Amino acid sequence: MAAAGGLRSAGWRLWRGRAVVRCHQYPPLRALQASAALRRASDEHRKEPLASSSQQHFDSPPDGHQPEQKPQGPHPSYTGQGGQESEDYESEEQLQHRILTAALEFVPEHGWTAEAIAEGAKTLGLSVAAAGLFHSDGSELILHFVSECNTKLSELLRKEQKLVQLGEAEKKPIDEFLRDAVEARLRMLIPYIEKWPQALSVLLLPRNIPSSLNLLTSMIDDIWHYAGDQSTDFNWYTRRAVLTGIYNTTELVMMQDSSPGFEDTWRFLENRVADAMTMSNTASRYNPLEKLLSRA
Amino acid sequence: WTLDNWSQNPVIDRILRVDHAGEFGANRIYAGQMAVLGRSSVGPLIQQMWNQEKDHLKKFNELMVAYRVRPTVLLPFWNVAGFVLGAGSALLGKKGAMACTVAVEESISEHYNNQIRTLIEEDPEKYKELLQVIKQFRDDEQEHHDIGLEHDAEAAPAYSVLKTAIQLGCKVAIFLSERI
Repeated sequence: MAAAGGLRSAGWRLWRGRAVVRCHQYPPLRALQASAALRRASDEHRKEPLASSSQQHFDSPPDGHQPEQKPQGPHPSYTGQGGQESEDYESEEQLQHRILTAALEFVPEHGWTAEAIAEGAKTLGLSVAAAGLFHSDGSELILHFVSECNTKLSELLRKEQKLVQLGEAEKKPIDEFLRDAVEARLRMLIPYIEKWPQALSVLLLPRNIPSSLNLLTSMIDDIWHYAGDQSTDFNWYTRRAVLTGIYNTTELVMMQDSSPGFEDTWRFLENRVADAMTMSNTASRYNPLEKLLSRA
Repeated sequence: WTLDNWSQNPVIDRILRVDHAGEFGANRIYAGQMAVLGRSSVGPLIQQMWNQEKDHLKKFNELMVAYRVRPTVLLPFWNVAGFVLGAGSALLGKKGAMACTVAVEESISEHYNNQIRTLIEEDPEKYKELLQVIKQFRDDEQEHHDIGLEHDAEAAPAYSVLKTAIQLGCKVAIFLSERI
């Protein structure tokens, strides 16, 4: 039994190795073929990944999050609870999601690279060839991380909103709300701050711009939504543009900040938000056209 | 190129965005007409139709916020263009204003009918409330159209040219507002 298992796993690794080599020749198909191979393998060898103790942690189906390649709505979860051969099916996206989540732990050490992904795959009991599923510049890893941070921020804002609705917390004034939301989101970068400049440059690659822009805009829209923005005129755009500017500049300041607890960054943020508030008050007071344009 | 990837539900997104833009434009058209003909005999009639459009716009504002839909960037443009169209048609006289109303309301009714068809094809149960709203509004616009005809719209100067031009403009406005 054990011998058969050993032979099977040796054959599995050989087969997956071959799948990855074949994939290098056809880059556009590589992700599809490699992950299909991985999925077939993981179908047959479900016991193997489940046996590793670090599994428990990653088996929960991702609910309502946005996978980095298709940032559109939740996808159905297929992971079963028991070890039943026929029901325990994991989709390709979920597998990639698990690998990338595991890889984040190794980013401070290896950067946003295939090494980090390989290490992550190892902790899941998969072969390091799993890193072949992804681009070598770590794009998917970074986009995955950004998407996860945005989801966490939404959760946080939703919970706060619930508390306010239940009367257990005070409704914050707009400038404080925006400041806190941006600060909360930027704080999620702190564990990875050394390698974040590298991530920013990868996010600006033409290939990644649609996805990274999409993630940025939906995060900013989320913040304004929870701040109570109900504009349906051109203000909708102005507010989001201003907040995007505040967020991006604060992020850049944070990269260069060496003060204790990033207090310089938070002070910068406070000033920028105050500037924005002043600008909007001045504009509505002195600009009749702005008033005209914002009236329905 | 449609910025569609911002939205959670592209179908609703487009529908609400273009309807919101349309009601906003209609408001501005009537405002333009009132600016010229407000003190004439058709003033009260135009005011009444304008009030109904204001209600429509209010409803769409609520729906936009509820569904978290992005408004069209062209709003400032429709703001001006609508007013100019309203005032311009009113300068051609009362019949000119009525002709403009007939043209616009006919376009809008047809447009709402298309949306109703789309929503029914998609999922009539899920979009029940929205369907009710659109049907009601379509009936209102149809009524405006009929009022326009009753008030000698067809006797307006260059009626068919005017009507064709305005309806072409509406088609372009609808196409753009759905996407941008």
